[in-house]
Amino acid sequence: MTGRGRGRGRRMMTFSVEAVGINRGDSLPPSIQQPTPLFPVMEQKPLPLAGGEEAEYLLALKQEFRGAMKSLPCFIQPAAAHRDVERYSDKYHSTEPADGPTDWTTDWKRFPKELRVRVKKPTRDGVSAAVTRSDRVQSGQKKKKIKEKEEVLLKLETLEKKEERGSSGEEEEEGEEKKKKQEDEEAEGEEEYDEEEFEEETDYVMSYFDNGEEFGGDSDDNMDEAIY
Amino acid sequence: MTAQEVRLCGLLLQEHFGEVVAKVGTHLLKSGAQNLRTIIHETGISLDLVKKSLCVLVQHGTCVFSSGRKAPGSPTEYRTSCDRILRILRYPRYIYTAKTLYGDTGELIIEELLQRGDMTMSSTVKTVADRLTQNMEEGRSMDYSEVSSAFSKLVETHFLQRCPPMAGAGTKDSGTPATPATPAIPGTPAAPVSTAPPTPESFPDCYRVPHVTLIGRGKRRLSNEDGEDQRNAKKTKMDSETHGDEGIYWQVNFERFHLHFRDQAIISAVANKLDQTSSEIVRTMLRMSEVTTSPTATCTKPLSANEIFRSLPSSYNIPRPILDQYLTLLVDDPMEFVGKAGESGGGMYVVNLHKALANLARATLESVVQERFGSRSARIFRLLLRKRHLEQKQVEDFAMIPAKEAKDMLYTLLSQNLVQLQEIPKTPDYAPSRTFYLYTVNQLPTARMLLQNCYKTVANLIERRLFESKESKRLLEKSQRIEAILASLQASGAEPEQLTEVEEMITAPEKQQLEALRLHINKLDSAENQVDETIFLLESYVNSTMSVY
Repeated sequence: MTGRGRGRGRRMMTFSVEAVGINRGDSLPPSIQQPTPLFPVMEQKPLPLAGGEEAEYLLALKQEFRGAMKSLPCFIQPAAAHRDVERYSDKYHSTEPADGPTDWTTDWKRFPKELRVRVKKPTRDGVSAAVTRSDRVQSGQKKKKIKEKEEVLLKLETLEKKEERGSSGEEEEEGEEKKKKQEDEEAEGEEEYDEEEFEEETDYVMSYFDNGEEFGGDSDDNMDEAIY
Repeated sequence: MTAQEVRLCGLLLQEHFGEVVAKVGTHLLKSGAQNLRTIIHETGISLDLVKKSLCVLVQHGTCVFSSGRKAPGSPTEYRTSCDRILRILRYPRYIYTAKTLYGDTGELIIEELLQRGDMTMSSTVKTVADRLTQNMEEGRSMDYSEVSSAFSKLVETHFLQRCPPMAGAGTKDSGTPATPATPAIPGTPAAPVSTAPPTPESFPDCYRVPHVTLIGRGKRRLSNEDGEDQRNAKKTKMDSETHGDEGIYWQVNFERFHLHFRDQAIISAVANKLDQTSSEIVRTMLRMSEVTTSPTATCTKPLSANEIFRSLPSSYNIPRPILDQYLTLLVDDPMEFVGKAGESGGGMYVVNLHKALANLARATLESVVQERFGSRSARIFRLLLRKRHLEQKQVEDFAMIPAKEAKDMLYTLLSQNLVQLQEIPKTPDYAPSRTFYLYTVNQLPTARMLLQNCYKTVANLIERRLFESKESKRLLEKSQRIEAILASLQASGAEPEQLTEVEEMITAPEKQQLEALRLHINKLDSAENQVDETIFLLESYVNSTMSVY
């Protein structure tokens, strides 16, 4: 009954207005219709920052500390997103995850078992050592493509060698062994392949004339097959 | 774990450990204790990265793990807490304090330990010796024994402590006989989960320096050595040498540094309020009671005036009666830094630690109100702090401010929640016309609120700094590249024309922009440091009230 406020007396509030000090006839400050501005005007300007030698030294310490942390192994970068096409600049932008796990030697006894990272033997060209299977799956897209290409080229090479040397038993086994080895030691295969291919930039694969002995010896065995 | 604290922790983790660790850390903060599978599932980050982030967090002491709550066999759970991460703000202050107390050697020891989280004594000594040697002139190098002695001094004064051996980490016996196995839990495979994780101080050997054989001098890293070779060399070195302290890891004891800061705050407050001699007396009293006072004590142990007189530094040659007068003045001071506890021995005096902290916090609150709302509002605020509850009319009278303005100021303070209204009913039905409305200020809740404001401030400062750096990222990168080119040119001995040519690659307006950027970033960083000082005061005050219970 008393609180009919809407039409008649608009100024009904939950607490007594006289006691708090709003007398009749006093105008209230205008009611706020929208959120307060993001950067309201300040009536009092804030004090300037404390300067002095200590403050500057602390500042320098802080910035150096931040910079040093960025270069430590505990600074973990997320895996870089792979773009749709390989680009030329990727070669120069390559931010290797550095030697993260190998560089960071710590006492694994102090960590629970599930957190311990197995450190595999580092591969020859310094690829990050603790590449687990999941990582290989995720980030191996590029490498897979290259691997496939190399595998194809290596296969062609071995086939050439086979025809060059004829189908004697040893060479076949050699070829098979090589194929098996490809899967385990891609890195080494890559390097050997690179050497052979790019040594003199000729159109001929250098291993064609690898050993003088093989060339002379094989030609005696199988005169039936053509030598390309 | 308020929203502001979590936001600030996330930003600090991002700046110092990278985005991945920040994501994992904030997730743990928001959701409490979790096991590995849940973290991976809920954050969506790959297993490898989550593992690495957790390792980083555990090494730096921000994350603790324990076997699951449900049953002894359930997977380990990880949990973080805000306050350890918020300490990162204070790292520069710790390093600077170590420098003032123990020189450059101490400074570098603390810096290395803060960067790595925890290290053994031997590796710390070697790294610090190498770094010191790097900065010395050609032909001189730092001996390991000097660094070891600085390390031992830090341990003796409790600034460094041993990391607690991990009970549930999968090893039951300690590495070396020097570290004791967890006492009183000989056969249980998992530490009792209901109790809080053991503090480092619960182990008796917490501050014992192990016997370490470290003979040698720091190595200077040659400038033409490849980075790769250096890393390999370091690796082989660490593998081949063991020094008898494997398994003993040291960490920085933040509580001890906080006690030191608190003492410094009290001493400087006395110096500001009274004079230099009184502050020296208080400093002597605090120094004498460093070892006898527990960290949570309300006041120091009583010291007699005779003892104080004997322990005063010899440069202060004040006669005994003058000392007595100074002590009486300190006791009578309304700030109550020093209290009298008895008459024996020429008068027994204590330093009231908790009261001093409360007074310092109160001064902080008052100055905040003064700087934001003006000195008259500050007068009203101080009045309410002193007189506890006042009616509207009484406020106007006591503060000697005209009614209208007093009303305005009170409402502004009320809307900012610095002042509260207390209702006292005369009748049980709380009728507005028959109730007293009194204005009051509660110091503790107001301090907590301001503390949250401080966290928000620092988070805003960090975000602004990141924004500014991101805006000018291109320019910064360009200037970095040019500096690198200049450095390499100078190292290989180029002519001045080449150098000027390279320097001119940055145009003048770009230089101006860079200067302005540097100025802004420095300002924001200094502001963070300064806000951290306020945070320290308010946090100490809030913690001191909590520890009473």
